[in-house]
Amino acid sequence: MAQYTLLIANRGEIAMRIIRACVKLGHDFVCVYTAADVHSGHVRLARELGGPDRLFRISSYQDPSEMLAVADASGATAVHPGYGFFAEDFRFARRVVERKRPLIFIGPSWTLVRDLGDKINTKRIARAHGVPTIPGSDRPIYDEMEAVELAQTIFAFQHDQGIAEGCVLVKASAGGGGMGIEEVYDLDTFRSVYRRIRNYAKRNLSDEGVLIEQRIFDFNHLEVQVVAERGGKNAVHLGTRNCSVQSLGRQKRIEVAPGFDPSSLTYAFDAAGVLDAITRHSVNMSLQVGYDNVGTWEWIVTPRGEPFLMEVNTRIQVENGVSGITSRIKGRTVCGREDCQNGVDVISEQIRLGLGEPLGYTQQDVSFAGVGIEYRILAEDPLDRFTPCLGRIEAFGWRSEPWLQVFTQVPSMSLGDQPYEIPMDFDPNLALGIVWGESLEEACRRGADFLNGLVLQGTDTRDEPLRTNVAFLLGRTQTLLHF
Amino acid sequence: MLNVKEMLEELNASPYEEIEIKTPHTGVIDFVGLNPGDRVSGPSGKWLERPGTLLANLTREKNKKPICATQKGQVMDIRSELEGKFVEAGERLLTIRHFLSKEEVIGRILKKALHLFHAPERAKYYFVPEIDAKIKAGGEQSVKVREGLDMFIVSRMKRETPLSYSGPEGMIYAVYFQQGDNVDGGQPLIGVCPESQLSLIQDVVNRVQGEWEERD
Repeated sequence: MAQYTLLIANRGEIAMRIIRACVKLGHDFVCVYTAADVHSGHVRLARELGGPDRLFRISSYQDPSEMLAVADASGATAVHPGYGFFAEDFRFARRVVERKRPLIFIGPSWTLVRDLGDKINTKRIARAHGVPTIPGSDRPIYDEMEAVELAQTIFAFQHDQGIAEGCVLVKASAGGGGMGIEEVYDLDTFRSVYRRIRNYAKRNLSDEGVLIEQRIFDFNHLEVQVVAERGGKNAVHLGTRNCSVQSLGRQKRIEVAPGFDPSSLTYAFDAAGVLDAITRHSVNMSLQVGYDNVGTWEWIVTPRGEPFLMEVNTRIQVENGVSGITSRIKGRTVCGREDCQNGVDVISEQIRLGLGEPLGYTQQDVSFAGVGIEYRILAEDPLDRFTPCLGRIEAFGWRSEPWLQVFTQVPSMSLGDQPYEIPMDFDPNLALGIVWGESLEEACRRGADFLNGLVLQGTDTRDEPLRTNVAFLLGRTQTLLHF
Repeated sequence: MLNVKEMLEELNASPYEEIEIKTPHTGVIDFVGLNPGDRVSGPSGKWLERPGTLLANLTREKNKKPICATQKGQVMDIRSELEGKFVEAGERLLTIRHFLSKEEVIGRILKKALHLFHAPERAKYYFVPEIDAKIKAGGEQSVKVREGLDMFIVSRMKRETPLSYSGPEGMIYAVYFQQGDNVDGGQPLIGVCPESQLSLIQDVVNRVQGEWEERD
């Protein structure tokens, strides 16, 4: 296999996972860091495994020129964007591959990032390929009559479904972040809400286009991990995961693989059938659009068991590890190491496929074992609306177990060691803890063991939120059995 | 009570500030023939639209970025070993010894006389849009503040929360932070001049105008 040098255009735990994957696959790597990240784990790991000349201090993780200057100066031949930052920026992906000294972008082709990066466009593509999407418009509506007709259809659809109180969501199509969205419960008020949102959109977003969709309550948020090779001819899925436990800001807190567990839980609908449908639709759509790297198909499943595609994430996701821990390829791990009991390393797969290697297996070769649960340990205060909290971590550690993987940029330390300052420029993610069990019950028990045994101590002012955070995860672990 | 004479003597003993010029981002550095001891000027013009003396060029991805002096002064300690090399962001290039002007001396002394409103914690701070607009239109000394006034937006870890002013009523006399920069907890954000301090502040200004000798 040819040796490549990957520029890791990211930080923290994902950069660490990419470094380890590069070492495992025999590729060289180059890491970047900013002044705020001098003490981050990815800097230490890069120095340890690559030496100081593999590290470059940059001004920002969000400056594409900075990244490409480092790529040229270091002789990198490929760029891995990780998640966040440039991962879903098609302009960056295009700039990486279309330049005088082209580099390989470890991710899907930039045209796919562009086409599937837009939710409305994804909805249109999905419908064209027969994939179910949330009932409603798949393009911005500018005409009031058309909007009213659409709302009428959605209310009628909900009525036919036996939903006592139907609800339609009216949102500014160019909006985001919860702005310019209103719920409508009856057709009489629809017109006035539509006009209000349209005026809001015209005033603030310079585009009066409005989207009209069915509002779905009490849904399950499921994901399908798709893995496809360059050229988009072969694609498989590495199972499903349930990401329904989220905080107020819609930040995922606990992810469980598989998405439903009909072997130990009773559902009001055919859960196995839903899992089968969403994996089939996801892989089919991937093949139809020629998807050519790892990606996530995100689904909403209604309380009645209807799955609707929400969006496609054209990148690796934070929670990829929980799918990896429950997946097996040809009964073993892809890395082939005897001591590696943790299933598939999705990041290694992403790199391998991004560099043009064939998939090398089919869906029949993929099997699933047990249940995985991922916990996100965040520097947030659940008692204060999950507000991020800064400060220092003075002790951090966990008991090593064969069923446990922990990914973190925070160094393991005891009281008295050099404390870790939580940087304020980034997400408040501190660590991901992924447990595996034969059954959901065992996974939950092990999850509780992990959280109970976790040593996480901050400075006086910040200690309580950190503890409350772990307590919140523990509390939600008890309720997982009642998903 | 503020001892202006003592403070002036203290500043006179070390009447300059050493400003480190660092690379804003990565790139290949090209010094433009400066030598230690050369005098450089800072930005000038009504709107500081004319940049200071060119110190070096930093080339990244074929884009040449001029690095100019941020203050007038004397060049010291040029790291000429970096010439033609690819450097990282934040690398020190040279130092400018800048002699304090009367305004800067007044600013330093007033920091002891004004009511300072401090950053409660490490974060990025912004003025709320109304106050920002007032400062942009009429300068910082055009804004009157009072207890409980919503003044700042505190941004950290991608979340934003409002922050109200607490302290005596008065005019903002000085702003000590750049919007969008990281500010450590305990650092002053603004200096407010309560009406009771007006005569003292006038005295400081008069004393410095009369007694401080500008050396540059």
